[in-house]
Amino acid sequence: MELWEHITTFFSAENYTLFIVSIGSGILCLAAGAVGTFTYLRKRALIGDVISHSVLPGIAIAFMLTGVKNPLYFLLGAVVSGLISIWIVDYVQAKSKLKLDTILALTLSVFFGVGVVLLTKIQHGGNAAQSGLDSFLFGKAASMNLLDVKLFSIIALVNVACIAVFLRSFSLISFDESYAKGIGFNVKLLKGFLALLTVMTVAIGVQAVGVVLMAALLITPAAGARYLTNSIPRMLVISGSFGFASGLIGVFISYSGAGMPTGPWIVIVLSAFALVAILFGKKRGVFARRRVKKNNHIKINNENVLKDIYKVGSQGTKTITINELIKKEKYPPKLLISTLKRLEKIDHVGLVRGMIILSDKGRLAAREVIRKHRLWEIYLSKYFQLDADHLHDDAEGIEHVITPEIEIELIKLLERPEKDPHQSEIPY
Amino acid sequence: MSNPTIVEAHNLTVVYGRKPALWNVDFELPEKQVIGIMGPNGSGKSTLLKSIMGVVEPTSGFTKVYDQELSEVRDRVSYVPQRQDIDWDFPASVWDIVSMGRFQKRGLFKKLTAEDKDIITESLEKVNMLGFSKRQISQLSGGQQQRVFLARAIAQQGDLFLMDEPFAGVDIATEEMIISLLKEMKTAGKTLVIVHHDLHTAQSYFDHLVLLNTRLVASGPTQDVFTDQILTDTYGGKLTTIAKISQELENKEFPIRYK
Repeated sequence: MELWEHITTFFSAENYTLFIVSIGSGILCLAAGAVGTFTYLRKRALIGDVISHSVLPGIAIAFMLTGVKNPLYFLLGAVVSGLISIWIVDYVQAKSKLKLDTILALTLSVFFGVGVVLLTKIQHGGNAAQSGLDSFLFGKAASMNLLDVKLFSIIALVNVACIAVFLRSFSLISFDESYAKGIGFNVKLLKGFLALLTVMTVAIGVQAVGVVLMAALLITPAAGARYLTNSIPRMLVISGSFGFASGLIGVFISYSGAGMPTGPWIVIVLSAFALVAILFGKKRGVFARRRVKKNNHIKINNENVLKDIYKVGSQGTKTITINELIKKEKYPPKLLISTLKRLEKIDHVGLVRGMIILSDKGRLAAREVIRKHRLWEIYLSKYFQLDADHLHDDAEGIEHVITPEIEIELIKLLERPEKDPHQSEIPY
Repeated sequence: MSNPTIVEAHNLTVVYGRKPALWNVDFELPEKQVIGIMGPNGSGKSTLLKSIMGVVEPTSGFTKVYDQELSEVRDRVSYVPQRQDIDWDFPASVWDIVSMGRFQKRGLFKKLTAEDKDIITESLEKVNMLGFSKRQISQLSGGQQQRVFLARAIAQQGDLFLMDEPFAGVDIATEEMIISLLKEMKTAGKTLVIVHHDLHTAQSYFDHLVLLNTRLVASGPTQDVFTDQILTDTYGGKLTTIAKISQELENKEFPIRYK
């Protein structure tokens, strides 16, 4: 088992550093996932991208001023230039007629451009300590040292703790800023604080995955988590867990193969998590929606067939054969058989040697569909100027949609009518 | 039977960019009445409510509530923002939203108490939404959303209610429910200030009217203010000169006044 070998070596004492690095990356990504939940909810996804690109000049200037590669100085430089970029976006938005997307694109490229120019200048400056500085572009998680990891983890955990403490206000300003202001919350301060947390997280995150991929770390886990839950606390937990797991697994994969990059792998794993959530989310997921559609089709087929058995068999008094039904109602035989089998399973009909026997349960269900159909016809003809020959087609669709509550409402509204517009009796 | 003043606006001017949304507006609103704020689209109705609520900073002038700064009496004021300004596909339940009505009392951090939960339950009951407590807000109809916002305001337990277009895009049943609730609240001594659109219902809904068209056109008891002349002044297009001037201010970047 090669994989198992990998895993055991990964966690063995001699790989202590690597183990620490993977935990460190995990915590980084956890913080990004948690902070990013609010970036996502406040629809600031692109601002995350702006911040992550805008920290680059700060890092470069920090190195130029100090001449050493100290993560604390980098962090400081990154936070300052990240905050300046947010301030510029807000200021230009308030004072000019430029649209937000233009402002974001401009700010991002200007800061990133300046950052790259400064990095190039540093590389040609002859300071030996500069080697590896360009890894901020794509990250260098695997080469983090223990001190880096400790520092980053502490900051990440402080961020997560702040989010937990400020959960109420951050949720409120994400939902409804005016109301938050109206009840006297200091929205400006809260927004500033949230921005600071975001910038801090980005500033440490870029050291793991680089400026180019950082936005993915903020937004992807939240976007995935949104498909799995409808509550903000749960969203935070899921998003953070996605981040943590991706950090861990990403480092592990990049360690397993020679020359595999860490940051991109973290992002790939993260995207895989998000994709699974988007596909399999219980209510909002792609497959869940498809299932709903499929169930609707089954319901429509069931009800249509039942209704026709009832009608062709003279209001359910006569037993009919499958062939009779095919002849009269022109069902594709395959669809009819599969529908009948389903109806047999739920005891609506019995099938004996090609004959269809409607059960009491089936009879009631058939009458219910017909009743809804005819009630809807009356409703349409009474309240909307619809000709009698237009009623049927409309009701064919809506008879499957009317819920028991709406049916009661209709009966009340129409004062329990006896006959439909075509003078057919309504079966109660 | 003139009631004491609850809200006062003095020389209130709010400018967005260069364009005045409200321009030298002066009025006093009486306590314990149902008050309508009306005017055509873009006449500054929402801005007026937002500046009373401190959501928008006035460019000049001021508003007072109970003859005090809003910050002194904020706990007596409940606010219902415009429903359409909100993204309702937000991960929260009906209960979560109405809980926000207690945040003012409990602040940023304090946990909601059993008493708060009773108040939230009562508020939901008042708007017939208790059965929907756990419902996701994304699954609500327009009328239900409005009820939820109303419940949140009720949970604030203020004496003055400021509501931004509570009747916009709601079903008849909700409108009737809200109106009877408003009357009930008025009887209980509350003051209700409502931004409203529909001229047909104005007379039957409101005791007092404020008619706006960027500037104040009229403010007074409905029977005095709801006259053909004033309505024509407000809605009839004679005041489009105001809009033209505003546009000039905006386009040519003139200042509205020298300070």
